[in-house]
Amino acid sequence: MDDPRAARLVGTVLRCYPARWRRRHGDEAAELAALLIRDGTPAVSVAWSYLAGAARERLTPRPGPRLTAVACALLVAACSVGVSAGLLAPAAPARAASTSQARGRAHCRPGSPEPVPGVTPAMGRPQVIIREAGHGRSC
Amino acid sequence: MVVSRRDGRAGQDVLRRVGEASVLILISLAGGSKHGYALIQDIKELVGVELGPGTLYGALDRLERLGLIDPLPAEDRRHPYRITAPGAAALRVHLDSLERVSAAGRLRLRLGGI
Repeated sequence: MDDPRAARLVGTVLRCYPARWRRRHGDEAAELAALLIRDGTPAVSVAWSYLAGAARERLTPRPGPRLTAVACALLVAACSVGVSAGLLAPAAPARAASTSQARGRAHCRPGSPEPVPGVTPAMGRPQVIIREAGHGRSC
Repeated sequence: MVVSRRDGRAGQDVLRRVGEASVLILISLAGGSKHGYALIQDIKELVGVELGPGTLYGALDRLERLGLIDPLPAEDRRHPYRITAPGAAALRVHLDSLERVSAAGRLRLRLGGI
């Protein structure tokens, strides 16, 4: 570009683009601006077009490498949680059953020494329904 | 998408929503591969529209993402582009659609005596 002020203006505006865009098009865009200005297009007009393009470039969402990496990380995390859950699953029910029956649900057992409000004794089977605020819970 | 097998939307006019600049670029590239400056000059001669450089690069990126154009190896600092087969098919579908709209519009004008 012959006019250093025009070159500086275009250079400044091109810096508004994302680095990825500048790596790809930066040199060519500067050369294109120089050719257009040489042909008589006002430098301000070229700069304005690049500025609008930079704004569009920044505002347009696109699946970039960062988003892809995040998606991959989430996928890997989900898979590892799934695998861990699968490995622990055979042991968990037995442990859960033994601890919960021993501690928390003593009041659910038939023949509990103290009557519990809201407990409906089941006939002929060791299961009762506790109703709390409209929700049924079996134990 | 017309023709792009990437997303399998065969037969649709994908260019309806990409903007006039993208269509003009495809029309220009249908005549042979070009880089940015040559595209601007060609479109100016062809239809009298002077694309801004920011608009040009935005449209080129969009068309490339859609698989309608391909970048060729850089010549010096310039990156030429060529239209792809899906791009040519998309352009054909779009131009057919424009022709139908044009014919319908002319017919209505004639029937209306305007």
